[in-house]
Amino acid sequence: MIPVRCFTCGKTISTAYEEFKQRQSAGEDPKKILDDLGLTRYCCRRMLLTHNEIIDELNPYQ
Amino acid sequence: MEIQFASLDDAASRFTLSGASPAFANALRRAMIADVPTLAIEDVRIYDNTSALFDEMLAHRLGLIPITTDLTAYQSRDACSCNGAGCPACSVTFTLSAEGPKVVVSGDLIPQDPKAVPVHAAIPIVKLVKGQKLVLEAKAVVATGKEHAKWQPTLVCGYKNHPVITIGDTCDACGMCVDECPREILTVKGKKVAVAAGKLSECSLCRLCERACISTGIGEEPAIKVSAEPDRYIFVVESDGSLPVKEIIKRALKHIKGQSDELEHKIREISGDDKK
Repeated sequence: MIPVRCFTCGKTISTAYEEFKQRQSAGEDPKKILDDLGLTRYCCRRMLLTHNEIIDELNPYQ
Repeated sequence: MEIQFASLDDAASRFTLSGASPAFANALRRAMIADVPTLAIEDVRIYDNTSALFDEMLAHRLGLIPITTDLTAYQSRDACSCNGAGCPACSVTFTLSAEGPKVVVSGDLIPQDPKAVPVHAAIPIVKLVKGQKLVLEAKAVVATGKEHAKWQPTLVCGYKNHPVITIGDTCDACGMCVDECPREILTVKGKKVAVAAGKLSECSLCRLCERACISTGIGEEPAIKVSAEPDRYIFVVESDGSLPVKEIIKRALKHIKGQSDELEHKIREISGDDKK
């Protein structure tokens, strides 16, 4: 699962992840999406850019 | 001492504090971060959890959810009459029960007090697939950032000295400093370099322009000089949404005042001078 807040500054970034994921898979430039989502600091931007979602791989095992 | 706001809304603020000592500026910063209380989930009672995340992982994620706090209705746990045991005056209970398939979000938490709700309703907590279940009860308490960062009401909270840029007569408008400045605050105006209108406060005092000026072979002294005003500060404060920025600043100032009054009182007591 995406971390609730940015590790560095504490901004709630998890709310932006769903939209980021959708728009990125639609082929949009990540820079533009992050700017639209209001993530101005590079600490918050890396949270979304470098996240790897593995909950679906874990879900078969309780 | 004077505070002048450049911008102020519930989420973020930028203001200038003038006529204050460096110690006071830092005290204000520290008070805003660590001495203003907010609500955050502290105790979680888990009745059923068959999700892919461990109980402690869930509790950690719940703890980080910012909760709208009305400080007139709640008070800090240490100052509460229940002595930190947790009563309706210093804590709120949330219940959550969900069954997969669904993504459990912060909006699924049902609060006991309709005013103390998560700031964002769309924070994902855990993804459940078919057959997985989650039932829990969470207690949010009022405490300060001193104890744990989840109680900090601020995100970005910092200050810098107000910059002063002076351009001497030796400036020949070569434009080297203009190209060097990472914040693009300098421009060439006529036969001299000048600071672009309204951009002075963006200067980070990096002094790259001074170095660029010397590298042109102007001599020992650069024509452009960057210095800091010693008693004027630019503050940037951002809130996580639990409290409006204005409230954070007010509470922090009140806290500093309370502490200094207490110190004064203690000193009077020790010295035996009870005169007021």
